[in-house]
Amino acid sequence: MINGTDKILVCCGTSCIANGALDVADALEKELAERGLSGDVSVSVTRTGCSGECEQGPIVRLMPRDLMYYRVGARDAKAIVDSIDGTPVKKLLYRHDGQFFEHMSDNPFYALQHKVVLKDVGVIDPLSLDDYRARGGYEGLKRALTMTPDEIISEVEKSGLRGKGGAGFPTGRKWRSAAGYDEWPKYIVCNGDEGDPGAFMDGSTMEGCPHAVIEGMIIGALAIGAEEGILYIRDEYALARDHIQHAIDDAYEAGILGDSVMGTSHKLHLSIVRGGGAFVCGESTALMASIAGRVGEPRAKYIRSVQRGLFDKPTVLNNVETLASIPAIFRLGGDEYAKLGTGKSKGTKVFAMVGKVKHTGLVEVPMGTTLRTLIYDIGGGIMDDRPFKAIQTGGPSGGCIPESLLDLPVDFDALTEYGAMMGSGGMIVMDDRSCMVEVARYYVDFLCEESCGKCTPCREGLRQMRAILTDICEGRGREGDIELLERIGRTMQDASLCALGRTAPNPVLTTIRFFRDEYEAHISRKECPAGVCPDLTRFAIDAQACTGCGMCSRVCPADAIAGELKAAHAIDPDKCIACGSCREACRFDAVETTRRMPA
Amino acid sequence: MSNTLTITIDGRPCTCEPGEYLYDVAERNGIHIPALCRSDAFEDHRACCRVCLVEVEERGRRKVVTSCVYPVERECAVYTNSEKIIEERAVTLALLAKRAPSSDVIADMAREAGAAAGGAAGFDRLVTLDDEKCILCGLCVQACDSLGTGAISTVNRGVDKKVSTPYDEPSEDCIGCLSCANVCPTGAIEYTQDATSRTIWNRTFELAFCERCGAPMGTKAAVSRAAQQTGIEEPHVCDACRKKELADEMMRTYRYV
Repeated sequence: MINGTDKILVCCGTSCIANGALDVADALEKELAERGLSGDVSVSVTRTGCSGECEQGPIVRLMPRDLMYYRVGARDAKAIVDSIDGTPVKKLLYRHDGQFFEHMSDNPFYALQHKVVLKDVGVIDPLSLDDYRARGGYEGLKRALTMTPDEIISEVEKSGLRGKGGAGFPTGRKWRSAAGYDEWPKYIVCNGDEGDPGAFMDGSTMEGCPHAVIEGMIIGALAIGAEEGILYIRDEYALARDHIQHAIDDAYEAGILGDSVMGTSHKLHLSIVRGGGAFVCGESTALMASIAGRVGEPRAKYIRSVQRGLFDKPTVLNNVETLASIPAIFRLGGDEYAKLGTGKSKGTKVFAMVGKVKHTGLVEVPMGTTLRTLIYDIGGGIMDDRPFKAIQTGGPSGGCIPESLLDLPVDFDALTEYGAMMGSGGMIVMDDRSCMVEVARYYVDFLCEESCGKCTPCREGLRQMRAILTDICEGRGREGDIELLERIGRTMQDASLCALGRTAPNPVLTTIRFFRDEYEAHISRKECPAGVCPDLTRFAIDAQACTGCGMCSRVCPADAIAGELKAAHAIDPDKCIACGSCREACRFDAVETTRRMPA
Repeated sequence: MSNTLTITIDGRPCTCEPGEYLYDVAERNGIHIPALCRSDAFEDHRACCRVCLVEVEERGRRKVVTSCVYPVERECAVYTNSEKIIEERAVTLALLAKRAPSSDVIADMAREAGAAAGGAAGFDRLVTLDDEKCILCGLCVQACDSLGTGAISTVNRGVDKKVSTPYDEPSEDCIGCLSCANVCPTGAIEYTQDATSRTIWNRTFELAFCERCGAPMGTKAAVSRAAQQTGIEEPHVCDACRKKELADEMMRTYRYV
């Protein structure tokens, strides 16, 4: 029975929009209108933020029945509307081992998560203040407004919250230091310059629940006595920026922001500053330089930003996810929040899991969840059930973790002992067809472009590392290269000016540490064991295994593969550019790689 | 003074005021720390060449810090030549030497640091840039900014960073004062000068001449900028002639005393 309580949630996160979610929402609304189910009556369509499993998008959820549909197209609108009070659309349901599952919680991707920061993301309309309030939004702020700054900070200290942008600095301690300086004005700044390759946690949070970030900022401002706040959002996050701006405007209108925060004598004005697209501007001091209109370069931090930050005034800079955790801490209580997580890492962490894992997307789990749980239980394992090789965590500052460490709990401290880090939450899963030397080169190349270039070890160390790694990948590696990389890397770790430079060699040092044999194969045998580096790899088709499906010749960009359908194909080595597309496309494992150069 | 601190640098006791930069304390006590991006001309230092690194042991913890901007706040032991520092200074200077192969200053410093670290074996493998002298210490930019000129800046980022005028075009703000070239530790900023003009950063400036002796006094733009900033009348004679004039005046005044 349609009785007016039904809702259709259409995921309109960036990824689902790219897959046509807006058309799906429009088609659903049109279908409802045609049946007289729009307007005052009955079923509403809500365009939500990212619901998580991006790879299965666009995702549509019928409430309150909790029917979850995956890979929906506009053409499915009629069937979905039929299913509001009818039988579920089977082909859109989650399928596992030949069985179909209806509810969100039936899908292990969702069932094993614990959403605190993302509680409302994918559920509410991010453009609706009422939606946010209906689920407890701004209740945390109301409670904070009854507390003194000291009590607010104590509550955050009790929660054990640490900076989720990667550094893990205790948030309460940061706020307490900033509150302690008797210098005005003070600023609160939100770091929304998320730039790690493959990371989209903060972007999705800002898109999906902008008010949570704003509520967190208001509470932070109360704690330190700031009357002005700035959200620094990277230029590429257009949707996040729009949603945050919309939320700021609504909050002003509702009297939540402005000269009187919720009718009190507290003042807070928030504005957005667009980042210019520089990765290094995610570093706190570079970010503040950028806001102030200077070149986005970090400075030495012997005098901390809490004392002398933006415009040389006491400044608290928190990451999006940190700030979005604050409302929950005040709604549930710091003690309750601290029950989640491990010893020194409390609460939850949002990860963006991508790469060669079956279910990619946005995941929130309690701190201390193991990598194995993340990859195999939530992520469903490696694509095509290939062997796992490594997981890259923490972006260009992080490291590559091998199979032997998959049972490590992911928190601020455990991974650090192995030279990697949890970082801001980007995770790239790699299978046996990833060359770890090439992965290291990719990150070094990224950093060559994205280092600010201010200090010598980072700028020049990266330049030299890139040259050496390129030589190794192209068959010109020499004895002693590994040791030289380690030597430069160690100096970069100690001698660089900022955290970006100090962690920049991590991708190289961790791959050397855990995959040294692969470096040695490249250098001494001129062989890429993963069959990736084009200069070292020759591709051939195993005539026995080839079924002649023709898939490889269709994807070959160099027209190097010939063969009759249903007969074994062959690669012309003179035309082959060793891109590996055929191997990716072959479903019968018939494409083999061999060494190209003599050892 | 009651709040004076005593620290040790390489085992030698040194006194200082809290907040004083470690590099300054060392220099005052005759302990030389090599540095490239630091100039006495400025109060703030960029801390980017990373050559002045030292190890500081404080409250039982040892850490590597940049001495030019590290404020001494409590008692500590400083090591300017520990094994770690020798190694990291050698690597940093080797990296700089490969970046700026045309600079003799850097080559000498790198050779010395490399020798201290047990030879420069392995560094010959590194790639070099062509004809480069600039080490991107940024002193030129700092000098230009401090004069309020702001004609040059670091541009681009990462390995493509360089110092230039906006869009590599001749800058309207440049006054051809040569502060950038004079402060450069490696002589990387080139300029030419003939009888009547000076060319720097792709712009040619007319020179101003002393009305008395005829010697060049710098560019006309720089002379009038200096007058504007100090609020005095634009000079028509050079410094030497002005002093001579003053001396003559004094002579005349006091001749009969």
